[in-house]
Amino acid sequence: MECVVQGIIETQHVEALEVLLQGISGVPKERVKVHELCLKSGPNLGVVSSEVRLLCDLEQPVPSWTVRHVGGAMRGAGAEQISVLVRTMVESKVSKNVLRFFYALGYKLDHEILRIGFAFNFQRGAQIRVTVTSANKMLKLHAIDEAVTVTPGIQLVEVTAPASADSYNEVVAAVSSFCEYLAPLLHLSKPGVSTGIVPTAAAAAASLMSNAGGKTL
Amino acid sequence: MPVKWVLHWHPNAGSTVNTQILTELSQCAESINGTKEGRWKSVLTYYRPILRDQNAPAEYARDFMGLALQEQPDKYYFTIRGQRIVLEADSAIQMIMEKLQSYKSRVQLYFEGIQYQLGDFQLKVGKVVPIHSESLRGIVMEVEYLPLSSLEKSRQIMEEFIDIWQETVSKKSLPGHFMHIEPNFSEYGLSDHYSSLHTAVQYATVMAQLIATVRN
Repeated sequence: MECVVQGIIETQHVEALEVLLQGISGVPKERVKVHELCLKSGPNLGVVSSEVRLLCDLEQPVPSWTVRHVGGAMRGAGAEQISVLVRTMVESKVSKNVLRFFYALGYKLDHEILRIGFAFNFQRGAQIRVTVTSANKMLKLHAIDEAVTVTPGIQLVEVTAPASADSYNEVVAAVSSFCEYLAPLLHLSKPGVSTGIVPTAAAAAASLMSNAGGKTL
Repeated sequence: MPVKWVLHWHPNAGSTVNTQILTELSQCAESINGTKEGRWKSVLTYYRPILRDQNAPAEYARDFMGLALQEQPDKYYFTIRGQRIVLEADSAIQMIMEKLQSYKSRVQLYFEGIQYQLGDFQLKVGKVVPIHSESLRGIVMEVEYLPLSSLEKSRQIMEEFIDIWQETVSKKSLPGHFMHIEPNFSEYGLSDHYSSLHTAVQYATVMAQLIATVRN
């Protein structure tokens, strides 16, 4: 299970967000470069159609592969009231021939995307991970070197934290309170509930950058 | 990782496997001074596609095999023999397969028995039985040569060991013999350096043989 919220930020303010996250975390950012392939089951396969994501971490000396399955979001009145999405998520590291494996099972490539950016990890009541990435699409199949940005000037911010059926309440609370730190720069909400950019972002960014200028981070 | 050969018991025409043969084989291991080192177990699962329309042309793997090995408790192995694919994953992949609901585990088999140590060799002799059943489906043997991980370099010493073993077994006049069929590992993209992926491919080969024996 995982808790997740998302938001968007203008690329011009990303540096300020990095300064803010760096200040909270105290450790250097982690570079992110992930080739994500989204596969869907063939027309006749499975009780219902299914979807699986293959992630190739290109930041590793030898690219490493992970299979990720994101399940349905938690439902019900309780889930409606909280501002964080709680959903099932299972990941497994796999050998590099995983794409061939899923093709053999009858899965087809739906789309692929290259995410480039950075991430910070925090231990604040939960294991919180913030990733800030730009999404890039490939003009030719798997041509990651020729990827072009999908949303110029906008980057995606995702805050996730692993949770379990017993602990998700505390994790939700930890994620919510963490989001408040970032509130001057961006709104974070459940995936699919777009809240746009925040009007205070420019002023908050300017303030962060001027503070950062005088400090050694 | 040390090299390993996986062999299966091939019954003579008209005979079948039974637990008496297994007992006699264990005695053989002890008679050549094998010391018991405890038990071993692998769990093999057959996955079949769940199709909405059974009559639609199948563009999918008809079945594939999942394998959990005792020596790699955090890993899981999938083999699609028809397409020469072997995949290594974390054991969590089983949960992903379950959630996808595109393939279902149809048959599960235990490979289990006793492990023996004979100098630099490790010998595992055991039975193949369906989970929740005691009906014997086959007898298997794993031979490991601990000092080497190159298949080529260990070939001669493995063959010599197997010769001694076969000679010991032949004295018992059992209705069958062990067979070793070495898969073409390079077809699966595997090198000479032994890994658990090689073991998964050997299990797939042994299973194909056991199924063929039952059909005949």
